[in-house]
Amino acid sequence: MSDNAAAPAPPAETSGSPAEFLKNVVGKEVKVRIGQGIDYQGNLSCLDGYMNVAMENTKEMVDGKVTASFGDAFIRGNNVLYISAMEDI
Amino acid sequence: MDGPDIPTSVNEPLDLVKLSLSERVFVKLRGDRTLQGVLHAYDAHMNLVLSEVEETVSIIDVSEDGVAQGVRTAKRNMDMLFVRGDAVIMIAPPSS
Repeated sequence: MSDNAAAPAPPAETSGSPAEFLKNVVGKEVKVRIGQGIDYQGNLSCLDGYMNVAMENTKEMVDGKVTASFGDAFIRGNNVLYISAMEDI
Repeated sequence: MDGPDIPTSVNEPLDLVKLSLSERVFVKLRGDRTLQGVLHAYDAHMNLVLSEVEETVSIIDVSEDGVAQGVRTAKRNMDMLFVRGDAVIMIAPPSS
């Protein structure tokens, strides 16, 4: 079929790979969601291949309400659901 | 190189844990448990050895029809504790 020969148009805008996103988001304000509606919001210090996360000035939030704050925090990677950038990257 | 390799800054997440050795850390575990104790050792799995540990367990009371009635906490103390890494969610060093 000649119709099949036409390749789908590429997405108009791409912003790189997931790894590139993670590289760009280091040093930025992020929200890390772990299970059970718990978020950690703070400045992302660094990440590794397991998605272990180190953060600074971290606030723990349950259902959007701040429940604790920590100067630094290490989050074990297996618990990470997503990492959301809270500022432009 | 002489002496142990103590990082002066955090280049990878595990450095944050390394800097917390011999410090009193806060550890959040699965199952609504938290620990506070002095960190003696850790590995890449986040297996931990802590001393002078206080464990706090949050217990949510639920009535027979499944409505949460409130949260209680139970505390206990242990001199020395090994924590299996897969239970660890978060580790926070003392805020300096």
